[in-house]
Amino acid sequence: MNKENRFIGKKVPRKDAADLVRGKAQFIDDLKIPGMLHAKILRSPHAHARIKKIDTTRAKELPGVEAVLTYEDTPVWRAGLPSHIGVLSNTVRYVGDAAALVAAVSDVVAREALELIEVEYEILPAVYDVLEALEEDAPQLYEQFPGNRFPLACPWMGPESLQGIFMGDVAKGFAESDIIAEGSCSYENLPNPLPLEPPGVIACWEGPEDLTVWASAQSPYFLKITLHYAMGRINVRSIASHCGGSFGTKVLLWQLAFYAAALAQATRQPVKMYYTKTEHFAAYTLRLGSRFRGKVGIKKDGRVMAVEGDWLINTGYCSDAAQGMVAVGCGELQLMVRCLNWEIKPQLVCTNRNASKMVRGYGGQELEAAFIPVLNMALEKGNIDPLDFFRENFVKPGDGYYWRDGNWWVSRGIDYGKAMDRGAEVFGWKEKWKGWLRPTAVDGSLRIGVGIGVHGNADVGEDVSEAYVRLEPDSTVVIHSCLSEHGTGQRSSLCKMVAEVLKLPIERISVAPPDSLVNPYEFGPVGSRGTYAIGSAVIRAAEDARRRLLERSATVLNVSADDLDTEDGMIFIKGKGGGKSGKKIRWKDGLGFDRTCLGHGYFEPDFSISNFLMVFVEVGVDTKTGKIDLRRVVAATDVGKIIDSQSLKNQLHGCLGSAGLDSAIFEESVFDPKLGRFLNPNMLDYKWRTFMELPQFDTVILETPMDTHSFQSVGVGEIVNAPTPPAVLMAVSNAIGVRLADYPLTPDKILRALGKA
Amino acid sequence: MRSFQHINVFTLEEAVSVLKDSGGKAQVIAGGTDIIGVLKEQILPDYPEILLNIKAIPDLDYIKKDHEGLRIGPLAKLAGLAKSPAVREKYGALAQAARSVGSPQIRNMATIGGNLCQETRCWYYRYPHSIGGRLLCLRKGSGSCLAVNGDNRYHALFDARRCFAACPSDVAVALLLLGAEINILGIGGKRTVYLQDFFHPLGNALEPGEIIGGIHIPTPPVGAKQQFLKFTLRKPIDFAVVSAAALIVLDGGICTEARIALGAVAPGPRRFPEAENFLKGKRLETNVLEKAAGIALEGAKPLSKNGYKIEIAKTLISRALSACLENESFNH
Amino acid sequence: MSEHPVTLVVNNRRYDLEVGGRPGDLQPTHTLSYTLRETLGLTGTKIGCDKGECGACTVLLEGEPVLSCLILTVECHGKKITTIEGLEDPQTGKLDPIQQSFIDSGAFQCGFCTPGMIMSVKALFAGNPSPTGQEIREALSGHYCRCMSHYHVLEAVAGSVPKAGGTDE
Repeated sequence: MNKENRFIGKKVPRKDAADLVRGKAQFIDDLKIPGMLHAKILRSPHAHARIKKIDTTRAKELPGVEAVLTYEDTPVWRAGLPSHIGVLSNTVRYVGDAAALVAAVSDVVAREALELIEVEYEILPAVYDVLEALEEDAPQLYEQFPGNRFPLACPWMGPESLQGIFMGDVAKGFAESDIIAEGSCSYENLPNPLPLEPPGVIACWEGPEDLTVWASAQSPYFLKITLHYAMGRINVRSIASHCGGSFGTKVLLWQLAFYAAALAQATRQPVKMYYTKTEHFAAYTLRLGSRFRGKVGIKKDGRVMAVEGDWLINTGYCSDAAQGMVAVGCGELQLMVRCLNWEIKPQLVCTNRNASKMVRGYGGQELEAAFIPVLNMALEKGNIDPLDFFRENFVKPGDGYYWRDGNWWVSRGIDYGKAMDRGAEVFGWKEKWKGWLRPTAVDGSLRIGVGIGVHGNADVGEDVSEAYVRLEPDSTVVIHSCLSEHGTGQRSSLCKMVAEVLKLPIERISVAPPDSLVNPYEFGPVGSRGTYAIGSAVIRAAEDARRRLLERSATVLNVSADDLDTEDGMIFIKGKGGGKSGKKIRWKDGLGFDRTCLGHGYFEPDFSISNFLMVFVEVGVDTKTGKIDLRRVVAATDVGKIIDSQSLKNQLHGCLGSAGLDSAIFEESVFDPKLGRFLNPNMLDYKWRTFMELPQFDTVILETPMDTHSFQSVGVGEIVNAPTPPAVLMAVSNAIGVRLADYPLTPDKILRALGKA
Repeated sequence: MRSFQHINVFTLEEAVSVLKDSGGKAQVIAGGTDIIGVLKEQILPDYPEILLNIKAIPDLDYIKKDHEGLRIGPLAKLAGLAKSPAVREKYGALAQAARSVGSPQIRNMATIGGNLCQETRCWYYRYPHSIGGRLLCLRKGSGSCLAVNGDNRYHALFDARRCFAACPSDVAVALLLLGAEINILGIGGKRTVYLQDFFHPLGNALEPGEIIGGIHIPTPPVGAKQQFLKFTLRKPIDFAVVSAAALIVLDGGICTEARIALGAVAPGPRRFPEAENFLKGKRLETNVLEKAAGIALEGAKPLSKNGYKIEIAKTLISRALSACLENESFNH
Repeated sequence: MSEHPVTLVVNNRRYDLEVGGRPGDLQPTHTLSYTLRETLGLTGTKIGCDKGECGACTVLLEGEPVLSCLILTVECHGKKITTIEGLEDPQTGKLDPIQQSFIDSGAFQCGFCTPGMIMSVKALFAGNPSPTGQEIREALSGHYCRCMSHYHVLEAVAGSVPKAGGTDE
């Protein structure tokens, strides 16, 4: 496709733009289903306890209460990996775990009912630290997971899912190394992704085996499938509302759906389960806790000879994504560090706190944030510029890696060296890099430092997508892709792709509502797969529809379909389209009166192409207060081809949000191990970046064509956070001349490192 | 929110009368920026039966200059204080403190009276009821201070004995610096307390049935320069980790009067007489300022995790004093 | 208790709300954000934290941006309120220039924070038709956007400043 594109890469307002700025977009809390009840949860005060007795009599008597459910009367539905969480249980495993559910005519009545439920608990010992949880006499969370260890297998990724990195001969690699660094680092501050909109699900039973859910879902079809299997193979229709931010956290909505569906079943009315922001903080999704202990051997020239270590992963009381994150994290580390000798041993551990799940990224950020500080010790010893190191060591075309399915994949991607160089140039890396633990500049108590981070992921082509493209006789088009809008503008980007294939004004193209009833299977916009995987399915569907249209028109025009083309809703013989002389017919003339035409497209997984992002950060540290000022960020990437520049830049800026860069500066979930509680479940004590703390932010976006689909493009949204926390650590360490490895670098830690506290 | 009765009152006397009659079951609502959150999260075991709206009382949002200084009505909004020419002219630290609070929306709603009466931000005290139940502690009349052996990074360095919650008010720091008095109305009539006596280790000086009737700030000394500074992790939104305010008067380069106040380091805002005395009679060179800051923090008694606040407090004191020397915008 | 009906003027339309305990009645505990969304059906005002910490529920009360989740509706008697639904021309549907500029700059991702931000900008421009970049950032300083659309928002606001020679993109 060398011809100038009409829409791809061009500035076109998002289809939902006017709705968003007018307040007309329908988010889950804006939906009203007739007869809808409101659900509330009684949450455990204990981190680990058995319910000895639970009395709901008084709560049930409260006027306006329609149902009160406990573990004794909830359906037997199960989720988790392997399946271990029911709707309710007689054991609560974190402070905030559900002990009882209430549905009432209003939120206020439901809350009041919670106060009337009496629970007698037998308090059990609890464990929060990942190493303590592995000790022999540690409290055990689940009988079926002895030692608090979850199995690492991730069956949905295949029978051989990646469970670590094991290859080559580590001993030999270390023997051949010039420099060996050994150490440990924790990334366990459990930042909260915290999209602005809390998660919500409305459930309504249409029949005993037929459930409809409306959800603030990132992946509505995936929710349908999850619930289908978790709830005894029932038939589920899943409809997504506008999604007020997700960052991966609104993919696995099964738990809210369980609560809403159980109450809806008990009351025979629709039930809405919408978390408060407080619940969103304290009883929803955090990043994984990650601890790495190991060693790295390198040559003087920066070649990596061996990597060995233990990776301890704390997933809280439940796992449904962590196994997959271990697999992908291990894959991602190999993309960043070319090495032939590996031994990375993960252990996945449960503890008595709120669950960790995927958060803008899928394991790599957690692993790398803990691994890179150890790697950096080796680079520091060898006095190696990290830019040179990453330039040399990031995966190149022809390199291989074990990916999540356990298979060896060879990269068909491009060399990202050019993007790294361009990023370094824009940032001024050469001038600013003064060596390890050396500030770029000092001005009184202010010390400036720079750091760098890189990340890539070969999930841009993960999993299956299907799409239909329906041509209407009035020369409009409907895309059927079960894709909700969660902020990336992907629904609009798909319109651009189809408009390009069918050479049709974009106004004539729309996307069917994100409803599993009217759309085919779609895994969802995760792992930056929207552009390549979903895009491919939609493009193929559009091409298929176009082919069928031209074939049908060929019989009308009595020519071969190969001789026909379509543009702006007209069909004509190729080469004669522009002129007035050529014969043209309208779509409806080709299709037949009031007929439609459906194209089908699909995408099968392909892990041979990766995306890439390098960030450069500059910080200022006030050595008299310990405060870090993020002064500048440059994000450099190569996306093959820009589909939508505004959406792309917005996504790159996203590295400052959703448990990303600021998890190295001030984002953390503060936990009190004496109480087993998080102390800052509110938006004042949980720190987020405001309009007053915006660094200068530059993006470098190259367009080296990729072997993906006709637009030669890949997505990048998922990976923007991962390179940032270790980059900040590096920058601050360089600024103050002290090696730091304690996320987040709050003033107390900086001042302590400087000997002032 | 759980239900309550809502009563509008139209005079302060009426407010006092309702408070008295309610027998402790009524609570005053002014700007609402603190109390609504407290009620929504149900952080306290007691829940008011009555919410007493004093916003309907006319003319209580005044900011008036008179020959004795400045008079501020309890309903004066923080946005108004930050903008007021009268405040900015001679009471610059107060304008700066008011401007440092919350966000523009909060400042459009929050009142000075409410700012002084707000509940502490101690995260144990504020723990939400909906996640496993509220936490009880000494301040709530049951148990001990959970911060002592917990995460006390934001807690008090001074004067705390059994409860280590710090006073969150920025405005109070400026008012203390400027020697403000609080007029209190109650059943027995009016009384006046100095700002330093308003805050108590477990709350404030308001007895049941009492309400803030107004605030008076005496005219600062001629030639006084003042500065308020606040250390937070983010510029807007945050409550202070430490805040500091300084006022100095120079005569021929020699300091004749010095006042230093710190916020968020004690149950109330706190002055530092030894450090202030140290500055008097001296030329205020950088090393003198730093020495004074050191003297101020000598008595600090850090807990396990808040020791870093000492260094920050010292820095803020030095910087606030330096700013007084440099900053001409608040001179007069 | 004897509450008289509460009159609100929302987007130039008058609403008389009975205070009481019947379904649909205004109750003393109702916040303005609740009333707007649940009673008046104006769901353009979003609730993020419901505690005044995120700015999503910002509306204009007598022209000033306030947090509608922290205001009791019973305390708004006789007050003029503007919500996001009140910005477009009611006759023609033409968008406010700020709204149009948000579209042109792609100043949103998930869009949940967008209505609140637009209301703060509306108030800023009303009081200050040619704000500096610093004043714009301050006016938006109480708004949380987790997608980080901040840079495009600043571009959009600069692009809709009523009295400006040019923007500082």
